[in-house]
Amino acid sequence: MESGPRDIIKSLAKAVKAIQMYHINHPSARNFYNPLYEKMAIYLKDHPVIEYQIDQFMISNRGKTVYKEDEKETSIAFRLFRNGIRNISFISGLSFHELIKFLRIISKISKDEDIALELWEGDFEHINFYVVEEEDEVIDYKVPDFTKMDIDYDAKLREIIARENIDLNVPIKPDLAPEELQTLKNQIAETEQTSAIPVAITTLISYLNTEKVHEIIDILKELLELCIDNRNFYDAIRIVNKLSEYPDINPVAKFETEPIIVGFKDVINTAHQETFNEFMNFISFFSKKSIPYLVRLMTFGKLKERLQDLRKAVAYVAQDDPTALATLLQEQDIDVLVNTIAILGSIKSNETITLLEPLMNHHNAAIRMEIIAVLTEMDKAVRIAKYLDDDEEIVRIKALQSLTRLKYTVIYYDLLNRIKSKTFRNLDFAEQREYFNCLVANGGHEVITQLRKMLFKWVFFRRKRYSVMRKLSAMSLADIGTGHVLDILRRGAKRRNKNISSACEMALRKK
Amino acid sequence: MSIHKFGTDIIALLYALVKAVQVYDLNNAVVQTAAKKIVYSLKTLLNIYSRVQLVRYMDYVFFNKQRLRFEIDGYASLQFIHDKLKTLGIKSLSFLPGIDKEEMIIFASLFKKKKEEFTNGYSSSGFKRILIEFSTEEDDAPDFLREGERIKKTYFKALKVTRNLMQNLWMNQPIDVKSSRRIIYNLIDSLTQDEFGLLTLTAIKNLDDYTYNHSLNVGILALALGQRIGLSKKSLAKLGSAGILHDIGKVALPKELIYKSERLTNEEWELLKKHSDYGIKEIVKARGLDETGLISMTIAYQHHWNYNGSGYPIHNKNESPILFSRIVRICDSYDAMTTPRMYQVVPYLPHFALRVMWKLRNVWFDPLLTKVFIQLLGLYPIGSCLELDNGEIALVIRQNQGYSEQPIVKIILDKDGKKVAGKVIDLSMNSGIKVIKPIYAQKYGINPATYFM
Repeated sequence: MESGPRDIIKSLAKAVKAIQMYHINHPSARNFYNPLYEKMAIYLKDHPVIEYQIDQFMISNRGKTVYKEDEKETSIAFRLFRNGIRNISFISGLSFHELIKFLRIISKISKDEDIALELWEGDFEHINFYVVEEEDEVIDYKVPDFTKMDIDYDAKLREIIARENIDLNVPIKPDLAPEELQTLKNQIAETEQTSAIPVAITTLISYLNTEKVHEIIDILKELLELCIDNRNFYDAIRIVNKLSEYPDINPVAKFETEPIIVGFKDVINTAHQETFNEFMNFISFFSKKSIPYLVRLMTFGKLKERLQDLRKAVAYVAQDDPTALATLLQEQDIDVLVNTIAILGSIKSNETITLLEPLMNHHNAAIRMEIIAVLTEMDKAVRIAKYLDDDEEIVRIKALQSLTRLKYTVIYYDLLNRIKSKTFRNLDFAEQREYFNCLVANGGHEVITQLRKMLFKWVFFRRKRYSVMRKLSAMSLADIGTGHVLDILRRGAKRRNKNISSACEMALRKK
Repeated sequence: MSIHKFGTDIIALLYALVKAVQVYDLNNAVVQTAAKKIVYSLKTLLNIYSRVQLVRYMDYVFFNKQRLRFEIDGYASLQFIHDKLKTLGIKSLSFLPGIDKEEMIIFASLFKKKKEEFTNGYSSSGFKRILIEFSTEEDDAPDFLREGERIKKTYFKALKVTRNLMQNLWMNQPIDVKSSRRIIYNLIDSLTQDEFGLLTLTAIKNLDDYTYNHSLNVGILALALGQRIGLSKKSLAKLGSAGILHDIGKVALPKELIYKSERLTNEEWELLKKHSDYGIKEIVKARGLDETGLISMTIAYQHHWNYNGSGYPIHNKNESPILFSRIVRICDSYDAMTTPRMYQVVPYLPHFALRVMWKLRNVWFDPLLTKVFIQLLGLYPIGSCLELDNGEIALVIRQNQGYSEQPIVKIILDKDGKKVAGKVIDLSMNSGIKVIKPIYAQKYGINPATYFM
């Protein structure tokens, strides 16, 4: 492969043309800049640098013309020259990434683009360039006028020394001690890493602490938007906190729209936990107006814990007023309804039940389950018990779990009767287990007697089918787990009846 | 790795070796290890470059044509090698392929000797892969350093851009942001090439154009100080813009106040102080809310905050000014003190301005940055007029790194007080001439600017 300065500049011109015709990532463009990089890498392996001088329509290397193009539109020489670039050097160590960045800049077609400026801001490590400032008018840099004045300069000097109390014998030793050098280096490193936004916010807030100035408030509002766009809720809160001191300003009003709020779905799903937490703090400044949009945002939530936090935050926004969510209960969207009901659960107001009343028997199981969750939060066991006869197993299970949690002792005999009924045997094991859990949770000492009876019950017919009841009884006894109960199970394990002994052994093992 | 980094590494390794041979026997393990390290690095570089060359010119050291900047990190080694090259009269030192450890150790051991012995030792040792070119009295600047015209052009273009920017803001006209951004990078390029070229131009004070000159000078001084402490190019670009814009709030004040030639009344003074506040609004107009705009507004607001928490606008004393504001605080004060104004026709001599700043370090000024600033300018900054102990009057035309009290001067008045286009003397080079005191050049009817334009 040829890789001299002439060949390299030719390839560069072709690559620029290809990038202008196609996109830089287009395979056709790649076909030009990949070989260009190879050529440059080969050349720079043996030479420390390739240096090109730029003229208006031509480019030269070591005094020899290596590129010439008189057409302004297509000439890369002209493109560079027009922006004041007079020399470009590619230095050994040039990376592919740097070359692409360079090509991207010099391939820009618009005349408004300042290539020199972009190259400077590109901060290249292995591409040097030399720029001159061409002026249409000649800059007049004459020596400033000088008139000798009738002044006693020595007296003036004495006056300054006296005024400033300068001791001319004080030695000036400007050398930095190693620890001073380290301190300075640490400060520089910190400065280089810090974004300008928090610093500017501190400045503007500091200004507002002395005087309320509308222009400064407007700048802070703009910065607030910038912070929100950058998902920098920490600084956004600093601004909102400050601006909230003025009763006539609502700094978050602008963000309480559906597109903006729903646009935060990345924050609730993929953002760093710290960002999410700050977002939670940020939305606490929102008004009730934002609630429908926040609920809509929840429908995009994929992380359970974050969804819970978001619901609590919305409950806070609703200021414990369930009516703020009333209209959302008319929604057809199941996700919206589920989230609305969940938020109502967080609010725990007396009106909540009234609002949920029309949905108690909603056709969708997810809604009924969410209502059970709310009723559980509000300790409404009587209402929950009604769901023991629900058509859907998952709803019934949810109800049993809630009653287990709430310890609603009144239900005990009802549960016992249900367990003893023939229909109980038709239920799935999972539901049957929840019944027993609920029975244990809501029964007193009496439950041990009942469980023992069921475990050891003499059954003549359908023994095999009854074995499930023995297992469930044994497992529940194991859950109770007192010494007395464990003795019952140990004795049971020695029974000759295999169903009884195996149920007891299994329960003891699990224990 | 950049050429600059290669250069600073080689300087550090050469420094370590020369120091080692001064203390230990040539067969000592410390010397052997130091020699091994530098030879290894030289061999690596000689795979890339046909030769590795150090050139000294005035107070600069160039590594393969790239000037090595005096930065706070590596300052000691660069200063040491620079001084050695200078005292031994070495203009350039080249290492060629094939160099080995033994040759390197013998060469380093010569660095202990005085100039004459060194020259003889070098000639008799017959080095084949270490070439030295000795200085003559009238050494010309290397080609790559003949940048004076470009630097002047950059400075005056920057002045024009600054003037246009402020005038447009004054008259509520649109701002040419692109030119402002562009000129900052040009200034950075010029500083990288020749730090003192631009600093020299900041010494030319113009009474008529104070506001614009001062703004630009503060920007340049801030860039030079920022470069000296090792800020990245991106940070320098922000600092330079902010330096130029630090007083931009003055455009919101009545022109009569800005150009008032008498002392200000208390009310006027309080109004003038508002320029720090107004700066925020003007910068947003000029730059918008990009990173540079945000930094600039902070600096405009904080540039009269003192290191000890005092200063204006009133602020929480526990709130410290940011690093860039502390830099601009120093540069602003220095330029303001040393520039004539309507109500201060005789400004402070640069040396006395630095003495005031030294006294107020820890009070008004960041003490560490003050030190670096004095290192940068020297005790007698460029443009200072000095009375010498031989009766001659001289103008400081260049700094001597590491010899802040002994700059390079040009004789402008002879012993009889007659104007002369005198010779250039490096006061650090055993000239036997000492500085008596800094004086006002104007006292002798001399305009220092004529020597720099």
